[in-house]
Amino acid sequence: MLVNDKPLLSIVTHSPATTIGVTLVTLHLLNAIFAPLLIPYGSTQLAGMPLIAPGHPDFLLGTDVIGRDFLSRLMMGGRTSITVAMIGVMGAVIIGTFFAVSAAHFGGYYDDVVMRIVDTKLSIPGILFVALFVVGFGRSVTVLTIVVGLSYFPGAVRTIRAQALTQVPLAYVKAARLRGESALSVIIRELTPNVIEVVVVEFAIRTSSAILIVSALSFLGLGISPPTADWGLMVSEGVNQIYEAPWLILLPAVFISTLVVGLNFASDGIANALGLDAARGLGGH
Amino acid sequence: MFRAMIRRTLLSVLILFLVAVFVFLATEVLPGDALDVYLSEDDVSVMTLEDIEEMRQELGLNVPAPERFFTWLSGAVVGDFGVTIVDKIPIGDIVFNPLLNSLQLGAIITLITLPVAFAIGATAGYYRGRRADAWVSTTTIIGYSIPDFVIGTVLIIIFAVWIPLFPAVITAYNDAHPLELIAVSLLPAITVIIGHVAHLSRLLRVGFIETMNSDFVERARLSGVPERNIVLRHVLPASVIPTLNAMALYMAGVLSGLIVVEKVFGYPGLGIELIEAVDTREVHVVQAIAFLGAVLVVVMNLLADFAIIALDPRVRSHVSER
Amino acid sequence: MALLDVRNLQVAYRNPSSDDQTMAVDGVSFAVERGETLGIVGESGCGKSTLARALMAYCRPGGEIVGGEVLFDGTDIFGLKDEQIRALRGSRMAMVPQDPLTSLTYHMKVGPQVDEILRIHQELDAKGARLHTLKLFAGTNLPEPEKIYHRYPHENSGGQRQRVVIAGALACEPDLLILDEPTTALDTTTEMQVLKLVKELRDRMGTALIYITHDLTLTDYMCENVLVMLNGKVVERGQSSSVFSAPQTDYGKALVAAIPRVDAKIATPAQPNKAKDGAPLLKVEHLSFRYPSRWSVSALFNPVEEPLAVDDVSFELPRGETLGLVGESGSGKSTIANIIVGLSAPTSGAITFDGAALGATDRHRSPELKRRIQIIFQDPLSSLNPRRRIESILTRPQEIFFGVTGKAARDRAVELLEDMELSADLLKRFPRQLSGGQQQRVAIARAFAASPDLILCDEITSALDVSVQAHVLRLLRGIQIKTGAACLFISHDLGVVKQVAGETVVLRKGRAVEAGHTSGVFDNPSHDYTRLLLAAALRQENYADLVEQASRTEIVGNEP
Repeated sequence: MLVNDKPLLSIVTHSPATTIGVTLVTLHLLNAIFAPLLIPYGSTQLAGMPLIAPGHPDFLLGTDVIGRDFLSRLMMGGRTSITVAMIGVMGAVIIGTFFAVSAAHFGGYYDDVVMRIVDTKLSIPGILFVALFVVGFGRSVTVLTIVVGLSYFPGAVRTIRAQALTQVPLAYVKAARLRGESALSVIIRELTPNVIEVVVVEFAIRTSSAILIVSALSFLGLGISPPTADWGLMVSEGVNQIYEAPWLILLPAVFISTLVVGLNFASDGIANALGLDAARGLGGH
Repeated sequence: MFRAMIRRTLLSVLILFLVAVFVFLATEVLPGDALDVYLSEDDVSVMTLEDIEEMRQELGLNVPAPERFFTWLSGAVVGDFGVTIVDKIPIGDIVFNPLLNSLQLGAIITLITLPVAFAIGATAGYYRGRRADAWVSTTTIIGYSIPDFVIGTVLIIIFAVWIPLFPAVITAYNDAHPLELIAVSLLPAITVIIGHVAHLSRLLRVGFIETMNSDFVERARLSGVPERNIVLRHVLPASVIPTLNAMALYMAGVLSGLIVVEKVFGYPGLGIELIEAVDTREVHVVQAIAFLGAVLVVVMNLLADFAIIALDPRVRSHVSER
Repeated sequence: MALLDVRNLQVAYRNPSSDDQTMAVDGVSFAVERGETLGIVGESGCGKSTLARALMAYCRPGGEIVGGEVLFDGTDIFGLKDEQIRALRGSRMAMVPQDPLTSLTYHMKVGPQVDEILRIHQELDAKGARLHTLKLFAGTNLPEPEKIYHRYPHENSGGQRQRVVIAGALACEPDLLILDEPTTALDTTTEMQVLKLVKELRDRMGTALIYITHDLTLTDYMCENVLVMLNGKVVERGQSSSVFSAPQTDYGKALVAAIPRVDAKIATPAQPNKAKDGAPLLKVEHLSFRYPSRWSVSALFNPVEEPLAVDDVSFELPRGETLGLVGESGSGKSTIANIIVGLSAPTSGAITFDGAALGATDRHRSPELKRRIQIIFQDPLSSLNPRRRIESILTRPQEIFFGVTGKAARDRAVELLEDMELSADLLKRFPRQLSGGQQQRVAIARAFAASPDLILCDEITSALDVSVQAHVLRLLRGIQIKTGAACLFISHDLGVVKQVAGETVVLRKGRAVEAGHTSGVFDNPSHDYTRLLLAAALRQENYADLVEQASRTEIVGNEP
C-alpha cells in the first residue's frame, strides 16, 4: 500500500522511535479491544480482600483499596478515555475541515466570523473551558465527548485553514471555478484532498493530546466518574495509599504514559516520513 | 505602527467580549440559569416550587438573560464577579489571593522555561540531524507525552515517600507569604517545566531550522560571516519572530496547566479554587476564573503581536499601510 | 597559473529516503584566468548552481563534495581549515545569488549588512565601514545612498536590492565573483541596467567573473568563454561566440536552435484559419481596470485611488488567429487575461465575444460561454490538482461541458494526449510524476477538452526550459490549427511572441503603446518603449544609451 508514493512499511520503520511508537499503539489498541474477553474479573466487581499485594495466585497484580482486581482494572482503564478522545477529536477534525476549507475558499466576512469564533475559544485555556461545561451540564461521558470535540475544533480549523490558504490562490482552483464547478464542489472535490495530510496529522496529534486531557480531567474529578476503571481516576484514587501501595499509582501511570508516548512517537515519525512538520501543530493544548 | 497597535488592541477587546458572551451562555443560558445549575436533583425533590422561586428572586435571576449578562459584565470589568450562592461571599475576595499565588508560580515557571527551551531548541536546530538533535527530539516527545499529574505524583513518591526531602502535601494557606510559597514551589514548578520545555523547544527548533535554510544565511556564510554572528545577528531574531504568537499562547496556557499540579501538590492557587467551585457548583466562581484565564491569554497574545510589530519591519510597514 | 583551477569536481546529494546518492556535479574540470569572464549555461537541474557553490567550498544541506579539487590561486580550498575558507569568502571570492529579496536578512537594514562584510575582512571600525558602504552604494549607481543605507530590504525595488547585494559582494574587491542567475528575478529593462553595471565594475576592478545562467544569449553578451552543462557534466565548451553561432554537440545545437529569437528571419506565422467575414471573435474596447482599494477608516477621509492597472486598452482578435500581448511584469497583461476569462470584473470598457457583450465575471456567464473561452496558466504544476490523476483532470471538463463520461470521455482523453504527443500511460499518473513540459501539455489538453473558440495563454512558456518551450509551442500551434480556435498569447518574451502571433499589442504600465502586424512592430517599431524592449532582447550594446534617453523622456520611470 502506498501513502504519498511511499510504501506504508517504510513509513512505519522510518526511525526506531516510529517503530517503537507504532508497536506501543498497536499493543494498547489490541488490549483495549480484547480486554473484556481476557480479564479474570469484572473491572468494577468486588472480587477479594482490599489491598492484596501483587503476586497473589488469584490476583496477579493484587487488589485495590476496596478489593477490586487491579489487573482487570488496568486492562480496562484506557477504553473510556481512548473512545472519548477519538470520537471527540474525529468530530472536531471532520467538522473543522469543512469550516477551515470553506473559510479559506470564501474569505471575507464569513472567514472573519469563523476566525473570531476560533480566537474566542482559543482564549479560554483547556481545563477552564471544560470546567465551564462540566459545571453547566454535569458530568457524563456524552458531555465529555462533546467538550473534547469543542476543545479541539478551533485548533483544527486554524491549522487546516492555514494549509488550505496555501492552495486557494493556485491556478487549479481558478481552473475549477472557470469550468463552472459549484463552491461546494471546489471545497470538497478540489481543496479538501489537498489538505488531507494535515488533517490526518492533526487527528493523530490531537488524539494523543485529548487522551492526556481526558485523563487529567478524570484525575481532577471533572472527567470520567467512579466506579469506571480509568487510569487517571485510578492514580487519584491511589494517592491515599501512596505510602503502603505506590504501585496502585505507578502502574496506571505507566499505562497512560506508554500509550501517549507511543501515539506521539508514531504520529511524529509518520509526519516526518510524509514531509510534514508535526511540531508546528503542537502550539499548546 | 501605532495605528496597527490600536487595531490589535480593539480586536482583543472584541475577543474578550465574545469570551464573556460565551462564558455566560455556556453556564447560565444553555443549561438553565445559575440556580438550575446549582441545585441537584435531590435538592429539587425536597423543595417546593415556591422555595425555588424565592431563591431565584433573592439571587436576582428573575430578570431576562441579556439584562443579567450586562449586569454581570459591567461588574466583571471592574473585578466584581458577584457573590457565592451559599455563603454570599464576594467572589473577588475568594479568587484574589489564589490568583496571585498562581501567577507567582506561573511566573517562576515561565522565567525558567523560556531560556532553557531557547537553548535546547537552538542547539537542536543548529545541529539538525546529528546525534544531539535526535536525542532532543526523542526526549522532548517523551517529555510532553507524560501527563503532568503522573510526573507530579511520581516526584512525590520519589522525593517525599522514598527519600523524604519534601512534604507530600503543601500545607500553606491562601494568604501565605510569597516567600513561603516560593520555598514549596520547587516540585510543582519542575513538574510543569518538563512538559513546557519539551513543547517550546520543539517549536523553536523548527523555526530555527527553517531560518538556517534560508537564502540570507547562505549569503552571509558565502560572505565569510562567522557562524557566531550568523546565529546571533541573523538567525535568532528571524527564528523567534514567527514563534512569538504560539509561545504567548503557550505561556498563557500555564494557568490551565497549573490546575493539575496545584491539585497534585495542594498548592493554594486558582486551580484548587476552581475544582472546589465545580464540586459545589458555584457557577459564578467558575465563570470568574474562566474569564480571568481568558484575560491572561488575550493580554499575552496582544503583547506578542506588539513584539512582532516592533521586531519585524515587513509586518510594520504592511500593517501601517492599511 | 590560473586563478581558479577546477579538477574533476564531484558533488553528490543524499537521497532522503534511501542511503544512495545522486550526483549533481559529476566530474567537472575547467580553469578561469585572472580577469576572464566564464559563462556556465544549462537548464534547470543541470547542477550549475551546485557547482557555483562548490567553487566556494560550500554545499546546501544534504549535499557533499565527494571528489576532485578546486585550486584557488594555487591553494586547494578543500584542504583549508574553516577559518581560512571563511577568510577567503567575501574577500577574495564572492557570490551574487539569484533572489536579492530572500538573500538579504529581512530584519536588518541593508547598509549594516554590507558593513558587516567590510568589518570582518578589512578591520574597519563602525564609522569607517559605513563610509565605505556609502561609497560602494554610490559606485553601484544607487540613488541617494544615505537613504538606501537605512532602508530594510523589502523597502527597496528589485533592482536596488540586487545592487546592494552586488555592492556587498564587491566590497573587498574580490579576485573572483560568481554570479548565480543574478537577473532572473528582475524585469528585462532592470536586468539590462544590472548587466551593464556588472560589466563596468568588472572592467574597473579587473575581477574574474563566473556567470551562471540558463540564458545562452546572456552568456553571448557577457562572457568570453562558456561551458554548457547537462546532468552534472560539461557537454560543450569554447568561446561563447562560437558556441552560440556554431555549436558542436547535439545538445548544444538543440539548445541554440530552441532559443526564441527576436532577430530570427521568420515570416509572420500564417493565420490559416482566417475567416472570410470581417466580424472579430473578440473585441475589447476602452478596457480599464483598477484594483479596489482596501476599506479603512482613514481611506474614507483621505481617499487615494489606486492607479489603473489597465488603462483604456482596445484590440480585436479575428476568428482562428493569434494575437500577441507583450509587456513586462506590471504591464497589465495578465490582468487583461483575468478580465476576459471572468476572474475579475473590468472597471470600465466593453468586451464583445462573438457579437454579444460578455458578462462582467464568470458568475454572469452561461456554461456554454465558459466552455468557449478557456485559459492556460503560467505554472503548469499549480494549474493541475495534485490529488487528481491525469485521467480525472482530462475527463472532468467533458463531464461538465458535454455530459460525456465513462469510456467515451476516456477515449477522448487519450486522443487529446496523442495530440500533445503524450502516451496514454500517463492517464493513471498524478501531475507531480510528470515533467514540467508534460504538465503544461496536459494543461493544454485540458483546455482543448472543452473544444473552445478562444484560448488564452498566460505566459505558458515562462516556467519551462528553453528546449521544452519550442516543443510546447509547436504542439499548441498544431492543435490550434486542427480545432480552429483563436488564441490570445500573453508573454514577456518577444522572441516567443514573434514565433506565434500574427498581430501584436505592446503594453506598458497598463497602456497599449503600440499595435499592429507582428513583423511591423518588431522590424519597424514606432514607439521608443518597443525599441527598448527589442534592444534588451537583442542585448544590444546601445541599450544603455536607449535607457538613458528613455528615462529622459520618462518612458522608463525611475524605480520606486
